[in-house]
Parts: sequence; C-alpha cells; structure tokens
Amino acid sequence: MTQMESPAVPSMWRGRKRKTVRMVNGRRSLFSRLLIAASGLLLACLILFAIAPQWFAPYSPTEMNTSAILQAPGESYWLGTDYFGRDIFSLIVFGSRDALLVGISAVLLGGSIGALIGATAGYAGRMLDSLLMRLIDTLMTIPGILLALTISAVLGPSKFNLIIAVSVSSIPGFARVLRGQVLAIKSRPFIEAARANGTSHFSILFRHIAPHALSPFLIMGTMGVGSAILMGSGLSFLGLGSISEIPDWGSLLSQGRSYISVAWWIATFPGLAITLLVVSVNLLGDELQAAVGPRKGSTKGGDSK
Amino acid sequence: MKRSFIKWKMLVVMTIGLTVILSGCSAGNTTSSTDKPTTSEAANASKENGGELTFALAGSPNTLDVGLTSSDIEFRIGRNIFDSLVGELPDHTIKPWLAQSWEISPDQKSYTFKLRQDVTFHDGTPFNAAAVKANFDRSADPKGQSVYAKQLLGPYESSEVIDEFTVKVNFKEAFTPFLSNAAKSTLGIQSPESFKKYGDKVGQNPVGTGPFKFVSWAPNAEIVLEKNAGYNWPSPAAEHSGPAYLDKLVLKLISEEATRVSSLQSGQVLAAESIPAQNVVALSKDSRYQVQQVLLPGGTFALTFNNEKAPWSDVHLRKAVQSAIDVDSIVNSLYLGTFPRAWSALSPSTLGYDSSLENGYKVDVEKANQLLEEAGWKVGADSIREKDGKPLTLNYIDLTGNREKREDIIKMVQQQLKAIGVKMNISITAAGPYVDALKSGGYDLAGLSFAGGDPDILRTLFSKANWSTNEFANSNFARFYDPEIEKLLKDAYQEADQEKRIGIYKELQQYFVQNAVTIPMYVYPYTVASSKNVSGIAFDFPGYPVFYDAAISN
Repeated sequence: MTQMESPAVPSMWRGRKRKTVRMVNGRRSLFSRLLIAASGLLLACLILFAIAPQWFAPYSPTEMNTSAILQAPGESYWLGTDYFGRDIFSLIVFGSRDALLVGISAVLLGGSIGALIGATAGYAGRMLDSLLMRLIDTLMTIPGILLALTISAVLGPSKFNLIIAVSVSSIPGFARVLRGQVLAIKSRPFIEAARANGTSHFSILFRHIAPHALSPFLIMGTMGVGSAILMGSGLSFLGLGSISEIPDWGSLLSQGRSYISVAWWIATFPGLAITLLVVSVNLLGDELQAAVGPRKGSTKGGDSK
Repeated sequence: MKRSFIKWKMLVVMTIGLTVILSGCSAGNTTSSTDKPTTSEAANASKENGGELTFALAGSPNTLDVGLTSSDIEFRIGRNIFDSLVGELPDHTIKPWLAQSWEISPDQKSYTFKLRQDVTFHDGTPFNAAAVKANFDRSADPKGQSVYAKQLLGPYESSEVIDEFTVKVNFKEAFTPFLSNAAKSTLGIQSPESFKKYGDKVGQNPVGTGPFKFVSWAPNAEIVLEKNAGYNWPSPAAEHSGPAYLDKLVLKLISEEATRVSSLQSGQVLAAESIPAQNVVALSKDSRYQVQQVLLPGGTFALTFNNEKAPWSDVHLRKAVQSAIDVDSIVNSLYLGTFPRAWSALSPSTLGYDSSLENGYKVDVEKANQLLEEAGWKVGADSIREKDGKPLTLNYIDLTGNREKREDIIKMVQQQLKAIGVKMNISITAAGPYVDALKSGGYDLAGLSFAGGDPDILRTLFSKANWSTNEFANSNFARFYDPEIEKLLKDAYQEADQEKRIGIYKELQQYFVQNAVTIPMYVYPYTVASSKNVSGIAFDFPGYPVFYDAAISN
C-alpha cells in the first residue's frame, strides 16, 4: 500500500520550498513574522468591519452625495468617491461582510460536501470509490471558475447562488485530499484494531479517522477561503453577484473599471482590498500549515496522538 | 546553460526589434494626430487626397440587409451603402434624393414619385421604378421576414410602375409618416438583381446606389467599404457633389466601450462611436480630438409604469414618484452633463416636440409624501409605507448589462424613493426572465427607450395594439390604454396638415407627463469622437453617421 502514501500528502503543499524564504538558519526571519502579524491585524480589522461596519464607516454606504461625485481621495473622503457620490472607504467597510461571508460559507459548504464524498470514497473503496471519484474527476476536468460561472449564470444573480456556485467548484479539491487522507489512515494498525473490536463503520470513520484527517482539512479550508473570496469577487465583477443596495467588492471593481482613466480610485481601492484580504488569508493559511500540517512529505501529523 | 543563454539573446533581440517596430508605429500615429492643420481651409485643400478612414463601431452586425433587420448598427452601416427616395433635414423638411419630385393624392393614400434617371446600382444595373417596387413589396410582404421596414411602411398596399422612372406607392389608409420613414436607411433601395443573385445571403453582399460600395466583411473584426467612383446623386444634406472624398472606409467592430476609446487614443482608429460619458468629457478637453453629438429623435429613455397593475394604476401614486425623483441630479452625476435630461416622451429632435414641458415640474418630496398620505399609504415598519397591511413596493425589471448606465439610474432612484417610503425591488435579469415578465405584465416599472424618426413612435409606445400578450412581448411596456388617447394617436398619423398634426402630438405629450404614465429620464446623444485631422463626418436625420463628406487631412 505504499503508493497510497503519496495522495495522502495534498498536492497543494507538496514540493513547496517556500519555507526557505521564511526560515533563516532554522529560525523564522523578522520580516516573515512581521508579515504574519500584519496579515493577522488586517484580517482582524476586516472581521471587525464585517461585524459592525457602522462603527467604522464615516458615511452610509447608500448615501449618494451628488454634489461630491468622483472626488479624489482627500480629507473628507479618505479613498475618494464614486460616480454616485458614495464614499469608497465606507463601501469597502460595508463590502467586507459579503466578501468574508462568501469566502467562509462557500468553503464550509463546499468543504463539508467535498470532505464527505472524499472520506466515503476512501473508506468504502471498490465500486463506490470508483464511482464517486469518477464523478469528482468529471467535475475536476472543468476549470473551477468556469464551473462557478456556469452555475451562477444558470441560477441567476444573487448572494446565495453565488455561494453555491463557488462551493460547488471547490468540492473536487476537498474530496481528493480527504480521500487520500482516509486511505492512508485506513491502513494503520489502530484502525485494524478498532475493526477487530467490532466498531461500526460509521464510528470508525467519524471517531477514529476523522480526527486524524482534520488538520489538512483545516489548512486546506483556510487557504480555500482566499480563493473562494477571489472567485466570488470575480463572479460579481461579471455581474453574477448579489444585486443588493450595498455593492460587494467585485461589483465595485467592475463599476470603477470604465472610469479608470478619469477616477482611478474607484476600481483601485476595492481591488486592493480583495488582494490584501486574499494574500493575508493565504499567508495565515501557510502559517497554520507550518504549525500543524504534515512536514516534509510525511504524514506524521496523523498518528502521534 | 548555453542554450538558455541563446534563448535569452533571441528574446532580447526580438524585444528590441518589436519595440522599434511598435515605436515606429506610434510615432507615425502621433505625428498624424498632432501635426494636423487646425483650420478647415487646410482640410479642404487636401480633401481630394482621399485616404482611408478607420471607424470603430459599437457592436457587430448580423446582416446588412436593411430591408429585413431591426438593429441600429446595421442601419448605421447601411446608410453609407444605400440611398433613399427622399432625405429629411434636421428641421424636418423633406427634400428630393433618388426621387426628383412627388405628388400626394387628394385622399392622402397614394404617393407618386418621379425618379432620377441617371442612377445605377453598384452592380451596374439601373435604378428605376421596378427597383423601388421590388424593395417595398419585399419589405411589406406580410409573410416576409422584415421587422422594422414593415413597420415603417405601415398600411402599405401596393406599388405600381407607371413608367420606367415613375412609381406610385399606395396605402390602405392615409399614412402621413411615410415620407419621413422613406428617408431612413431602413427603406434604402437595394439592387433587385442582388436579391435574385444572392438570395438569403444578400445581407452579406449588400448592393445599393450609395456613395460607398461593399468590399469585404470579416465577422466580428471589420467591414470594408470603398468609394463608389461613379456617384453623383448625393443626399439633400450633403455639402459637395460627385463621389465621396474617402477612398476607403474601414469599419472596425469593437463592442467593448473602453477598447473603442483606447483604439482611438492609440491611433488604431481615426474615429469611434458611442463614447461613454466620462471619456466624452476627457476627449473634449484633449486638443487632439473632437467630439460630435446628435440627440437621437424618437422616444426618450423613460421609467415606464405598468399603468394596468395596482397600486400603480393610481395616478396619484405615480405622480408622487414623479415628484420624488430628482432626475437632474441623477442625469448630471451619471452622464456628467453629456446627456440632456428628458422632459417628454419624445426627444427634442423629433417633429412636434413640446418644449413647453421643460421645467414643467420640480422635485417636491413634501408633495410626494402628501399624495401618498392622501391615498391612504401610511408610514409603517422600517419607514416603508403600508396600506391594509401591504407594503408599498415598486418592482423594477431590466436586462443585465447596465446599458447606458440604466442600472445605475435605478440604484439612485431606489435611494430617492426610500425617502418617501417606497420600497423599490430591482430585478436585473437575463433576456429569458425579463421577456417573461414583460409578457405576463408582472412588473410595476420598466426602463424603455425607443428611437425612431417620426413622432408616430408614440403609437409604438402607447397604443393598445402594442400591448404584450402572454405569447410575446411588445412595445407598450406602460400597458397603457385610454380610448380617447388611442383615437388621438390614430388621428395624428393620418393628419396631413403638419400644424394640426404637431398640435395633436403636443396634446399627447402633455397628457403623458400630466398623468405620469412614464417618467422621462434622459435623451440619448449619439456620439462620435474623432482625431482632429478627420473632418466632415455628418449625421442623417435619425442620427446615423454619414461619411460622404468626410475627409482626412495630412
């Protein structure tokens, strides 16, 4: 069963040599620690924004001050105003809720479904495994963004549909990783022992295997939030997001696009917000992986407990 | 290692080469746009030089068969390939073009045209009475595929060839808009020979009598036209005689507006149409470019109530919305002063436009609130008005795409209506659900504009005959019907006396505003931005670009 070891290490961290950048003589460099701290701070800020935007935004996000349209960033409007006369900073603050909501719920939904499919396939093996994994393979042949685009185009623009579209496109990745994890753990002696004890399949899967597969799932989930936010913003950029009174970052970006030569700030700041959020989530995900993830291609993280 | 070095070297060499080529190109273009003479005399002197004009069109046509299609872009191109029987000047007078003169029968039902005798089609066949008959019969054929031309021919009955150069066009009833309609490129005359020769493919092989001949068409890329050297029958609006100045007209098909603007700025095209407001402002300030705008005649863009559906069937409620919407601030913010605000269902460039409607009402939130109170709608939870436990909602439908920033308009309206306790639900969908909503009449408000030359467009917009049914969507989005108004709409298109006709149209326009049947928002200006060395791009009456007088100075 040695060939089963390799899928146990998700491709996303296999072969990454990024640690050499962060590790100087085995110690983490100051720069990398600062970077992590900054990411954490930024994410904390955005979470606060998302929870209580009205505490931080100087203006209402729907207030259209038609006597102050297309104002450059300045004292009264820190990041300028758009062509409705809305304050860009307030819009970003209020938009953070949608960005995080889409990112997190898409991963929770897609991740759980994917994990369930992958774990079932890996544990059951044989026919069910082949069947489920071929299904996943089929989904995988379609690029994630294309899949999400098709789904949300069919379902129509709304926040809920956007979340569904993004989650469906993240299912295959989770399914494959979890299947690999389960396959690797399944062949361990302690599982055999549990089976010999007469423990039910359900119990083995959820009480014995699941805890060991949790950490890669968490890491992948964290990283997934970043890409889900990116994909969600991409879809709403294309007009497939929610049409609420408070626009999300993707639609702000799209609105500002045609004004880029006249008022660069409309598109630039929401774009920057998306970039910074995705980068910080990914950096924190990296950090989480370094802390709890399997090291150097081994699956040691699993059986030490 | 060595191989990669060679690769590098090649890359460097190629980059340098490419840079030289590119800079060569752009240098050439900069000179052509900055070294231009600023005076029109200088432009005149070099007009005979001809040259090639590249023009960026907003979109991609499906056919150039103007007799069958209904799409504006196709009529814009067609205008330069096909000539019409008559021409309409901006003051709405009708002048001879391919017809030298005409007579209208006393019962207003027949038009007898005397045609020019020196006109030939691009394929060499002569233009004559039979050609006119062939075109009109084809477009008016009830079983034919014509969309817009059929409408423009109205109650068409037949055409009779009296002699080689005399044709009589008969209608079933008086139809005053006919001469104005005949001036449009939609009723431009195509070669009957080309119908036979190309059959269904005539839209890809247009043959007319116009100043430019069709050369080639690369789908979604460009359409090339060349000068018709034997041309000597220009439209009454033309400024010179003989063939066009340009040797070649290359129409680049660029749907994306930002790309169109940057193609102009980078010198890939010399002129471009449909320029977004923010770029119009920037380009007008730039000394290297000029911007031309024409207000399209016909219907303005209006927020159109579903006048049939409660509660908005109540005129007081509609008037409350009319008083609450600050049209000026919306139009000025979104179009930065490039689109005029509309006051009537008709555009100012249309015959019979009632300018007395301008500034006829003001934003008055207090009055709006009062009207709603009186109608029994009281402020309830979340400051939304209620009556009998039902909230006061206004459901708006539109297509996705934010055409002419209409989605942005409605977002601003939504905020303004919140102030009077009206909750606006916006549903921006793809064509399928949108058309379904139109068919079933399940909306309260919809955005609608309908360009057209003649004020008879009001019949398109408000006649019962044009209501949507459950089978298909039609043009009376207002689902408006009033027997008296219906009669006026009919009288107006049959009235031969222009003064009386204008009088009826003014009455109608007043009615539609007073009863807040629709809320006119903006008048659409067709814009062309061009490099300063391009001169003479003109516009025919419905507002299509005409390149006959266009010239490029060096």
